[in-house]
Amino acid sequence: MPALTRSGRKDATRLRIIKTAQAQFVKDGIIKAKTSDIASAAGLAHGTIFVHFPTREILLVEAVKDFGRKITERIHELEAMAGNTREILEAHISGLSLFESFYTRLVTEGPLLPAQARQELLMIQSAVSYHLNGAVQRDIAAGRLKRVPIHLVFNTWIGLIHYYLVNRDMFSGGGPVLERYRDELLDFFMGLISR
Amino acid sequence: MKKCIACAMPMNTPQDFAMADISKDYCAHCARPDGSMQSYDEKLESMTGFIIKTQGFDLKAARETAKTVMSRLPAWIGR
Repeated sequence: MPALTRSGRKDATRLRIIKTAQAQFVKDGIIKAKTSDIASAAGLAHGTIFVHFPTREILLVEAVKDFGRKITERIHELEAMAGNTREILEAHISGLSLFESFYTRLVTEGPLLPAQARQELLMIQSAVSYHLNGAVQRDIAAGRLKRVPIHLVFNTWIGLIHYYLVNRDMFSGGGPVLERYRDELLDFFMGLISR
Repeated sequence: MKKCIACAMPMNTPQDFAMADISKDYCAHCARPDGSMQSYDEKLESMTGFIIKTQGFDLKAARETAKTVMSRLPAWIGR
């Protein structure tokens, strides 16, 4: 393997800090996680963190943005292959399931996060609502769904799955909850809006 | 898959592109009737309306969300 250049090493260290911060956020919470713990988990001196991210808030925002980009891309990929409303919701669950622990932290702590980090959650939701809107409109026009307001379809669905995520200790002992309840939630929700 | 530079919509079929022209970098929803791309203000208004329709946000929150989404897109970087 060719030796990394100085800027390549810098980029690699920056990425390592972001990945380690994301793992630490899952473990300790986004707000509570300490930069000293992130540094030791990454095998770096504490000061090295601040060479790459001048403040804790900048690191937090960058780590959340990196996560937001990944999950939004995955949701776009999965939902582009889906056609009807149920398939869109299935794709949503599949996409979130891949990142369930971090996503749950983001949902739980969202209102307490710096505005730029919170906006990532809104970006993810906008991607989902875009795909859901198209499918719901098609299914209403085809007579498969009741004439329901589109924003309430989205908000009711998000409310349902977020409730399971935020309380996943109650529903699945703290383990993955979306895959476990996928069919029950989908069947129930589709029953509510179908003709 | 190409994404619209002005609103990030995935463009999968020719109908998704402005004037059904797959050489365009923006989508049918971001084009004016003559095929040119909408301005920042026009797009901000339509995206704000779309967010209200699909997520039910208050006008001010919807506009802020639209600004955030647009600030990440190639057509509007630096706005």
